[in-house]
Amino acid sequence: MSIVDLTSMGESQAELRKEINDRLSRLQEDVSDYCYQCAKCTSGCEAHKLLELEPHKIVALLKRGLIDEMVNSDIIWTCMSCFKCRERCPQKIAPVEILFALKNMAVASGKQIPGKYSTILQSVLSMGLIQDIQEVTMRDTKTKKRGDLDLPALSKPSDPAKFQAGLMKIAVEKL
Amino acid sequence: MKRKFALYPGCIMSTEQYAYEISIRETLPLLDIELVDIDGFSCCGEPLKSVNQLMMLYLSARNLALAEKNKLDMFAPCAICHLALSECRYVLGSNPEMKGRINGMLAAEDLTYNGTGEIVHTVDLLHDRIGIEEIAKHVKKPLKDIKLATHYGCHAIRPKEIGRPVDSEHPMKMEAILSALGAETAEYPEKLDCCGGLLQINLDESALAKAGQKLKAVHEHGFDGLVDVCPWCHKMFDARQTKAGETVAAKLDLPVFYLTQLLGLAFGVKKEKLGLEFNLSPVDKIQIG
Repeated sequence: MSIVDLTSMGESQAELRKEINDRLSRLQEDVSDYCYQCAKCTSGCEAHKLLELEPHKIVALLKRGLIDEMVNSDIIWTCMSCFKCRERCPQKIAPVEILFALKNMAVASGKQIPGKYSTILQSVLSMGLIQDIQEVTMRDTKTKKRGDLDLPALSKPSDPAKFQAGLMKIAVEKL
Repeated sequence: MKRKFALYPGCIMSTEQYAYEISIRETLPLLDIELVDIDGFSCCGEPLKSVNQLMMLYLSARNLALAEKNKLDMFAPCAICHLALSECRYVLGSNPEMKGRINGMLAAEDLTYNGTGEIVHTVDLLHDRIGIEEIAKHVKKPLKDIKLATHYGCHAIRPKEIGRPVDSEHPMKMEAILSALGAETAEYPEKLDCCGGLLQINLDESALAKAGQKLKAVHEHGFDGLVDVCPWCHKMFDARQTKAGETVAAKLDLPVFYLTQLLGLAFGVKKEKLGLEFNLSPVDKIQIG
C-alpha cells in the first residue's frame, strides 16, 4: 500500500473531504459565536515571529468561510503544534485544531504534502513506525544501533499485512 | 509495592534516542517499577495528525487496545506519544460513535479499545506515583553545585483540557525532582517555549532556529545544563545542538540530559549504564559523582 492509495481514491476522498468540511463547519460556528479577535493566540504563537503565522487571522478567515484560500496556502504548514493558542484562548477556541483540519483538507484535496510527511506516512504504512532503527553516532564518534545495545527487540506490528488491513479501512471505509 | 506498566516506546526513542530508553530501563526498576515489553506496538500517530487526524486516533487506540489486552496501564516516556494517547482517550471517551467506528477498524487485528487503562509520562510517574520522598531515599550521590534549566516539552504541558502530566503555565514537577536529587533549578522566561521538533518534518531550518533560540537563552541565563523528558525535544537540543546554534549565530556547548540520566547519576548508577555516551552535547563538562 502506498500513499497514492490514500490520496487518489476519488470517491473515498470525496467522502473524506465532506467529513473534514463538516469538522470545519463546526469549528466555524464556534469561532463565529465566540472569537472577538483579541489576538492572544498570535501573541504567544511559536511560529509567529519566525514564520509569520497569525492564528487570529486564520480564525478570522474561517469566520468568513475562506477555507479554500487557506487550504491552498503554505502558511497552514508553519504551525509547530505547540498548543499555546488553544491553551490561552479566553474563549476556548483552538486555532491549532483549525490548522490541523485545514492541513487534513489540503491532503484530502490531493495537494502536495510538504517535506517528509509522505516519507513518514509511507513508513508507518509499511512497518508501523515513522522510521526504522537508526545507526547513531556517539560523542566519541563511534556508531551504534539498537541491536548493539542491551535492549529488547524493537516493538512493531508483528503482522504487517493485518496491520495494513486495519489502516486501509481509513481509506476504504470512505473516511 | 511493585507497580507494573507496559512500556510504550514510540518511534523516536526506540529507533534513535537510545539514551532515554537505556536510562529509563536502568533507573525505574530501582524505584520498584516493573516495565513490561509488549510486541506489536505502532506509531502513536501524532506526527500524522497534520495528514489525517483519524489515523492518529486509530493508531493511538490500537496501541492502547494492545496494552488493555495485556491488562496493563501504559507508560509513554515521549511527550508527543503521551499527548496522542491521551487525546485519543479524551475523544473516544466523549464520542461513542467515533469509538464504535475505530473499534470496527481495529477488528482487522482482533483488537478492542475500551478506555480502561491509564497513561503515565516520566514526570508524573516519578513525581505523583513514586513521589519525591521515595526518590530522595535513593539518592546516594547528590548532584551538587549545578544549576539546571528544565524543558517539559509542549505536548507534556498543553492542552490542559485533555489532561496533562504537569501544569500548563507553571510546571514545577521536574524542579521538585531535581531538587530532591540535590541540583539547583531556576525559572527563566523561555521555559515554556517550543523546541521546534515537529517542524523538522517540513521546515527544518525553522525548527533548528527554535531550538537554537531556546538553547542560547538558557546559556545566557547562566545555567550549567538543560534537562528534558521527550525524545523529540532532546534530539533538537542535544543531537542537533551545533546545527541549532548555527541558525542563531551562536557557538553552543550546553550539556543536555534526560531527567532519567540525572536520576541514575544521583542514585549512584554507573555512567555507562545510563547511555551518557549517546549525548552529543558536552555532558562531560559537568562532573557528577
